[in-house]
Order: sequence, then C-alpha cells, then structure tokens
Amino acid sequence: MAPTSLSHRQTHNLLLISKLLGHRDTASPLTLLIDSLEQPATPLIKEYIRRAKISKVHVTLIAFETLKPIDGVDSFIFARRKNPSEIAKEVGAAQQKTSTSPSTRRLILIDSINPLLRAQRANAHFHLPTFLSSFLLPSSPSAPKGDTSLVVNFHQDVPNPPIRSPYQPSPLSTLSFLATTVITLHSFSHILAQKAARDRSLAAPVFGLAEEQDGVLLGRLDKPIGNEFAQGIVLEMEHRRRSGRGVLEWYLLPPASSYPPNQLKEIVTLLDDHPLYRPPEDPGAQEGEEEPQSTFELGLTDRQRKEREGVVLPYFDAQQGNGPGEGGRILYDMGEEDDFDEEEDEI
Amino acid sequence: MPAQPPLPPLLAPYVSALPPSSLTLLSSVLGATGNWLILRYLYSALGAPTGDAAFGLLGGESGRKRKVVLVSFLRGWEFWRSEAKRLGLDLARLTDKRQFAFVDGLSELFYTPATLPPSSQTTPTTSGPAPSRTVLPVRSQPGPVPARGGPQPAPAPARPTPNNPYQRVQQQSRGPGPVKQLHLTGTGVQALDALENDISSVIKQLKTPVTPGEEEPEILLIVDQPDLLLAATGPAKGIGATEMGEWIMGLQQNVHATVLALSADSPLIHNAAESAHQPSTPLEMESAAFAIGSAHRAQMVLQLRNLETGAARDVSGVLRVSKGGAWGQVDAGAEDKWEEREVLYFVQRDGGVCVFGRGE
Repeated sequence: MAPTSLSHRQTHNLLLISKLLGHRDTASPLTLLIDSLEQPATPLIKEYIRRAKISKVHVTLIAFETLKPIDGVDSFIFARRKNPSEIAKEVGAAQQKTSTSPSTRRLILIDSINPLLRAQRANAHFHLPTFLSSFLLPSSPSAPKGDTSLVVNFHQDVPNPPIRSPYQPSPLSTLSFLATTVITLHSFSHILAQKAARDRSLAAPVFGLAEEQDGVLLGRLDKPIGNEFAQGIVLEMEHRRRSGRGVLEWYLLPPASSYPPNQLKEIVTLLDDHPLYRPPEDPGAQEGEEEPQSTFELGLTDRQRKEREGVVLPYFDAQQGNGPGEGGRILYDMGEEDDFDEEEDEI
Repeated sequence: MPAQPPLPPLLAPYVSALPPSSLTLLSSVLGATGNWLILRYLYSALGAPTGDAAFGLLGGESGRKRKVVLVSFLRGWEFWRSEAKRLGLDLARLTDKRQFAFVDGLSELFYTPATLPPSSQTTPTTSGPAPSRTVLPVRSQPGPVPARGGPQPAPAPARPTPNNPYQRVQQQSRGPGPVKQLHLTGTGVQALDALENDISSVIKQLKTPVTPGEEEPEILLIVDQPDLLLAATGPAKGIGATEMGEWIMGLQQNVHATVLALSADSPLIHNAAESAHQPSTPLEMESAAFAIGSAHRAQMVLQLRNLETGAARDVSGVLRVSKGGAWGQVDAGAEDKWEEREVLYFVQRDGGVCVFGRGE
C-alpha cells in the first residue's frame, strides 16, 4: 500500500473510532458488540463508560448479567425477571429524572442481550426491533429529541434459542441488520497466534470452546506465548454509513492499566500499526545482504568505481570489426604500479 | 509425592480470597469431579483453627466471620459430612455452632409429601394457578423419581403415611441444625422462587447474630450442580437457562460470594454449538447456555478436566484457573490480583490433595 493512502486511512479511521466510542454526532445510534468467553466485552464497556464520563454523557446500564453497578454508571437498571416493557418504562423514568439537567446526550448500555432472547417469559409478542427502538425514540413527540446511542452486547458463544418459526431470522442476524456499527472482539494474543500460523501457511489455532475439548470452557491464559506485550483487545469494526457504504477496520484497544483514566488523547490504534502484528522491516537485514561479514574490504571507493566504469571490455573492442582476429585482443595500458614480467606479459 | 496441607499452597490464593458479590464458576467433567475443590472452599472458610497461617490469610482482610451455606443437588448430607470429616471439618458441630448450613436439594426435590405443614410448603391443590395443577401430576410421573431408585411407588403425593427418611428429616429440621430439604412444586419461575425463598431463609437464619452487637458475617454460598434442576425440568416446564441464571442472581444478592459448580462435559457443552452437525436437543442447548452464560457472569472460572494424555497413576486431572467474563468489572484492588494458571492435581486415597505444576 502506498504510504500516502496508509496515512490517510490512519487518520480517517482513527477519527471514526474515537467518534464511535465517544458517541459524537450520533455517529452510530445502535452499536452491536459481539463478544465471546475468549474476549469478553467488559473492558470495552468500561472504556465506553470512561469516555462518557469525560464528555459528561448520561450513562444508563441495563443489567441482565451484572449484579452491582459499575463505577461511572448514572442509572443502573437491574433487569432480572423483568418484562421488556417494564425495562423500557424504567429506562424512560430514569431519563425523565435527569431531563432537567442540560445534558441531553445519553448512552444506554445493555450488558448482555442473550438472557432476554432466551427467556421463557419473552413470549410471541416480544419483538426485538421494537424493544430496541423504544430506547432510541423519544417517548412523546413533544419531548425534546435527545441524542441517544444504544450499545448492545451479544455473546456469540451462547447457543441461540430455538427459532419459533422457520421463516424467522435468528436473533444475531436481526441484530446485525439493525446495527449501524458492529464491533467483534478478539483477544490480541490469539490474533497474533493465528497470524503467526497463517504466515507459515498452517491452519490457524482455535481457543477455548472452539477446541471442543472435554471440560474446557475457557482457553485464554494470561501469558500464553510468554509475551507480556500482547495485551489488549482487537476490535474488528464494521461501520455502516448513512450513504450505505461500509467501513471495515481492525483496531487495538490497549489494557486500561496502560493509560490514566482521564486521558483525552486517543489510545486506540490501528492493528496494522502495532509492532507485534506488523513488525517494522529490519534495516539491518538489507545491509547484511549487500555486505557479507568478512575481513577483506569488499566495497569500492568512489575513485575505484569511476575507474571501473571507464574500462572498455574486450567484447566492445571486438565489435568494432577491424578484421578477424584483431578485435578480441586484450589491450592493456601499463600503469605506474605495474612491473613488466617477460614470461607472463608476452604480447 | 510429599504430603501437602489440607489447603495446598498453590491453590490457596484462588480459594480463599473471593471478592464481594462475586460469582466463581467451578466446572467439572465426569472423570474429574469437583467435590474435593468444594471441600477446599469449605475448609478455607470454616476450617483452619486460630493461629494457623491460612486463617491469618483469611481473617486479615476483613476480620469478619465467615459462614457457609452449601446447597447440593447431587449429593446428600451424609456424603458431605463424611468427606469433610476426612479434612478435619466436623460439619455437624459447625452446624450446631451456626457457622454452616446444609440445604439438601437431592433427597426430596421431587417428592411432595401430602402431610407437609402448610407454613413451609403450599400443596399444589390449594394454591397456584389452574394450569400448573392440571399439568404437574402427569409430568412428574416419568421423571427422575423412579430413576433414583427410591422406594416409593408411582403415586407419591397420595401416599398416606410418610416413609422413614421423611420422619428423620422432620426430626432434623426441628433440631438445631438447619438441614433444609428443598421441594420442587409447580412450574416455571414460581417453582424457582419457592426454592429461592427456602434457601434465602436459611441464609437469613445464619446471618442473624447469635449474640447481640455481633458484626454481620460474610456468607459464602456454594451451589453444587444446580444443572440437575435444569436437566430435570427444562423448557417444557418453563425453566430455561435464563431462569436458572436469574435464580442464581437472586441468590447472589443475599450473600457475600457465590461458588457455582456445574458439569461441563462435552455433550452438555459442545453439542449445542453451531459447528455440531446434528440438531441439538433442548437439554443440550439449555445446559450449554446456562454453563456458558454463567462463565460470562463469573469473575473466576476453575475448570477441571482429565489429563489429555490419558489416565495416570499419580495425576487425577488438570485444574485451569481463568478469568471469567465479568473479571475487571469492579475495581476490587488487591483481591483481583491473581494470575491465570494451569496445574495438575492428585486426590490421594485418604482424601488429601496435592496440587503441583506440570513437571514438578
């Protein structure tokens, strides 16, 4: 890739991810996070909350799985054993309470949509698109149009519930059709291991549940390849613009311990820019090809090179065609440093 | 192999310091059961007489008293009592001292005696909505009651005289030790709610201070193999993975920390995966969803499995400790500073356990 287009992609896509994570300009009303046991979305959700706190966005967490409110959440809605309509009502009430404050930007996080999709109480009347859009649309037409973004987390390794009708799409396809941004999370160390295998044309390794080993739920270990720098989360982002064009990019979110919680500068980088994923080409390797290590001086000085270029090789002389036998002679002018040897230099 | 203390040093950091309102998932397979690990949790919370190093490790953090409620769906009181005795824990005495309570989910889970006192149970004939009344007697017949080899004939609820175990149980529940029996009646969320109420009443009983002015103790709740409940009921009775998960969450709200033991055998986990070639049964799907969903909610996941290289004379299995999906959600500080690791363990004939790294 040409360096100019790479740097253009860099600035453009980094701007996009900071817009998405910071919820500026309603870049994405519905973001779908797809996580797995190998890389849970907890660090990314905490990053969402951290950025929301910096830019004073009101955060609502709808907790299907979380027991205690996470730090920085403004309203915590415990969704255990609640009907979808009750949840929507509670979220609306929490927003009403804070509507006096000037902040109109809101972020609604759903820590996991799977329990709701599987719940027996979710009867035939439950309609996922209606449920999700009830958070985004203002409760009444007269209400001020708030700037709301919804982030929904989906565990892809939890088996899907049986489909009630054969013509109904699975919940994941419904969600991914609705979402304006889809972020799939991967563990950085796994991505590195898979890349290393691909580079050697080997089958990429699988981890955790995909290993299908008896008794293994989680495959992730802290330092699987002895690499302490392989920390962080790889975000595979697909952003659908309003024009219909999609943007695909892979990012790396470093672990939360590597930056202060009030850092304003963008910490997400492109995966391609990470030295472990794409090692910089080693400058020493190219020099080594030209000059093998030796005790002899094999290089040429400028003067030597100039003189070498000045040498007329015998076959040029032969092409002049001064008659047969004439052209192939070696013509040599004696230099100062040559001494004449009668036996060898007989002409 | 040298003998190790009841709580092996490699295991101690994972077993003793459970962060508040946390869920720890303990997954096991048929060839590598988790009973010994549950006993280690009991020992770390209850055992270790004063002055022991392990106790200093425990008491140093909070200084609060630790009590344990053990809810077991796969093993009875006798099993746990005799196994704990081998570790030097007298569960009957601890029950008397109100440091420990056992909730029996095995013996009479599906047995609804007609002569129960109305205060503890409501019989299905007097309460509950009409559908549950008509459905229950039909479905409970081919269930696991005959399969357990119990002595009772098929029409269990109609038995005129309670048999011997029931009488013994009544004596026990009147006695000082709260050995509570769980009964499953009705369907769906109501049935789970009844179980939850029973367990929370035991927890509350344990929480109320013996002497006034005593600090409220930290309760550790251990739920052993509740997947039996899911397998025995299933979506047909209105209990699915979500309901089970919410039931656990409800129990978690009452206690300091929760340990959940589940089976993670291949058929229960992998048959429901998308890569499986056959359509999976509801049981496979619900147990996979429950186990994986619990792992997403857990701070720590301890996985027990067989040795990949086959059986060995001096190794019982592999223990892998991993960070669960909820790890890092709350900044718990020092309690969250543990490393993921994988060790081998060996359960000796006398019940002692050695835990060691590979090649040690």
